[in-house]
Amino acid sequence: MEKNEILTQVKDVVSNVLKVDSSEITDDSNFIFDLGADSMQSVELVAGFEEAFDIEMDQDRALEVQSIQDAVNFIAEYV
Amino acid sequence: MSHRPLNNSEITALQNQGCFSSDWSKIEVSDPFSTDAIHQVRFIGTVKLGKLGGTVMTSKGETRTTGLFNCKIDTCEIGNDVLLDNVQLVKNYRIMDGVIIEQVHSISVNASSSFGNGFEIEVLNEGGGRELKIFNKLTAQLAYILVSYRHDPGLIASINGMIDDYSAKLSSGTGTIGAGAEISNTGTISEVNIGEYASICGAALLKNGTIVSKQEAPAYVGTNVIARNFIMLSGSKIDGGALVDKCFVGQGVEIGKQFSAENSVFFANSEAFHGEAVSIFAGPYTVTHHKSSLLIAGMYSFYNAGSGTNQSNHMYKLGPVHQGILERGSKTGSFAYLLWPCRIGAYSVVMGKNLASFDTSDFPFSYINVDHERSILTPGMNLFTVGTRRDSEKWPLRDKRKDPVKLDLINFEFLSPYIIQKVFTALDVLQELYDKASKKQETVFYKGIRIKRLMLKSTRKFYNMAVNIFLGDQVISRLQKMEGSPDMESIRKELSPGKRTIPEKWLDLSGMIASEQAIQQLLADITSGNLNTLEKIAAGLEEIHVSYEDEVWNWTTRILDERFDLDVKQITADQLLELITRWESETIKLDKMILGDAAKEFDNSSKIGFGVDGNEEVRDLDFEAVRGVPDENKFIKGIKEEIIQTELKAAELKEKIQGLQG
Repeated sequence: MEKNEILTQVKDVVSNVLKVDSSEITDDSNFIFDLGADSMQSVELVAGFEEAFDIEMDQDRALEVQSIQDAVNFIAEYV
Repeated sequence: MSHRPLNNSEITALQNQGCFSSDWSKIEVSDPFSTDAIHQVRFIGTVKLGKLGGTVMTSKGETRTTGLFNCKIDTCEIGNDVLLDNVQLVKNYRIMDGVIIEQVHSISVNASSSFGNGFEIEVLNEGGGRELKIFNKLTAQLAYILVSYRHDPGLIASINGMIDDYSAKLSSGTGTIGAGAEISNTGTISEVNIGEYASICGAALLKNGTIVSKQEAPAYVGTNVIARNFIMLSGSKIDGGALVDKCFVGQGVEIGKQFSAENSVFFANSEAFHGEAVSIFAGPYTVTHHKSSLLIAGMYSFYNAGSGTNQSNHMYKLGPVHQGILERGSKTGSFAYLLWPCRIGAYSVVMGKNLASFDTSDFPFSYINVDHERSILTPGMNLFTVGTRRDSEKWPLRDKRKDPVKLDLINFEFLSPYIIQKVFTALDVLQELYDKASKKQETVFYKGIRIKRLMLKSTRKFYNMAVNIFLGDQVISRLQKMEGSPDMESIRKELSPGKRTIPEKWLDLSGMIASEQAIQQLLADITSGNLNTLEKIAAGLEEIHVSYEDEVWNWTTRILDERFDLDVKQITADQLLELITRWESETIKLDKMILGDAAKEFDNSSKIGFGVDGNEEVRDLDFEAVRGVPDENKFIKGIKEEIIQTELKAAELKEKIQGLQG
């Protein structure tokens, strides 16, 4: 899967989970500082990525992912 | 102590020193006796005096001359080197050696009393039905049984009968003030037994109670305290204008800072300040420190109530009849509200205003929050938080009980079989909910609360982590007991279950983890009359508590067999290696997740408000000066060290096992 495809899907998941309009999400958005994610939503995001990409992510590493770009790079390792 | 009547010259001397008795023949003294230390005393009824005029040491280390000065003594027996100074009335008391009583309005027993023993209080359900008779040896475990097992009236009647008998034996028209006790600047004390080395300083009113105290663990009652119908145990402290009515205050408990409590029990090491408690069962380590907190009709242990915590047991229908349970290790965040009935799973965090009744007891380590007025459960989330780890480490270190006899039986184990059995339930339920849920669903319902569908699958990983760590811990602790270089046959023997019945279900009896079978047997023995005294019941509970480790291992072998198809009697070296490897990997993974949580305390959002008048650089420098850096944080260093130790332990065990055949 190409990175731009991953990026689009990541943004979709983030928009759904964090209830943020997709126009507010940039490639560099930080989940916590820019999009207001709390710790529970961080876990939910990981779950959302897993479902969207049909992958199993390593939890401790996945929770270190802080931004859209981090997520794209991390997911690229799995797909 | 032998006593004799006063002789005439002694009576004359006493009269010359402002003393009075309508019948001096009722005043007896023990030799050597001197009248020098008795001035301005009015004697009423029979009074027996010990040796006076020596010195006594106060708890503050001051030396005082003993004697009776400016007081009224009615029907008392006074021991050696007692100091009574400016006591308006002391009546019907046996005052033991070395007691100091100064500036006190009255201490009296006015009718036969059991001193709070056997007094019935309405715990947990304010509407009644769970009445508990408090007494001076009540344990969290016995109270749990009495309050919770009302479905067995025969059992409750048996135990209550024992408490009645015990209380009757303690009943007397004479109270006791134990050796070395100090009472000063206090108002009225009536029908209160005061244990040795207890300190009562500035209390306003104490009525119908017992203060158990020991030299190693003195009890303390402080300024402006009002306590009625109470039992307080050794090492406990009630201070700061606290208002305590119909309460049991256990060993090492502190109540103060104007806290008010009624119809409540507080077991070992609980702390209650500022707020209010009504009909609560505060198991060991229940803590509420802040104003505007109302704990009502709830059962807790290892609980921390955040500021403004509020609970409702009344829905304006049939009265205050609802109740709730927060299982061990739970917390309520600031202004968290729970509408009873509710049951919260162990080690969970409750946030927000929860207006629905739900039961999350199948999901330990959860977060419960409110989103658009709907309560949402996030399972397993609290397993990897700093708070949970810190709490589980601090509790055993904060056991304030100095009494050599510790009444409450407390199991501090973080991942106990009680928790792991819940984890297995959670795993099964989450799988079932996941299988049934449609992808279109945002949430699913379980026992009155919503769980986000996305969490159904991912949070199972957290629970599996807990299982793997628990199993590894158990196996490794067994292996570590073996000295030298054992072969596989000896290992299999060591790992084989013992002769005890393998537990099926575990209970948490307010801090004590025990198998259901063992508790049921104990209860059957009580009902049948085999255990017919409170001492025998206490011994029975202690025996169960002591057998915990063996019981856990037996249960672990069952779990390995049933859930992992692993028979320890035939376990192979490869299987052992796999268990250790999985334990190592999951333990380190959990530690890393906790480190990740701790790192949030050092990220930019944590720096808000630092460097108040400066730029970003000033902010960072200010933050570093106040909060330090992650690498020097004690907690973070501890977790990192734990990771190293885990790796070392795993490597050592793997090396031992790798060479083994079979």
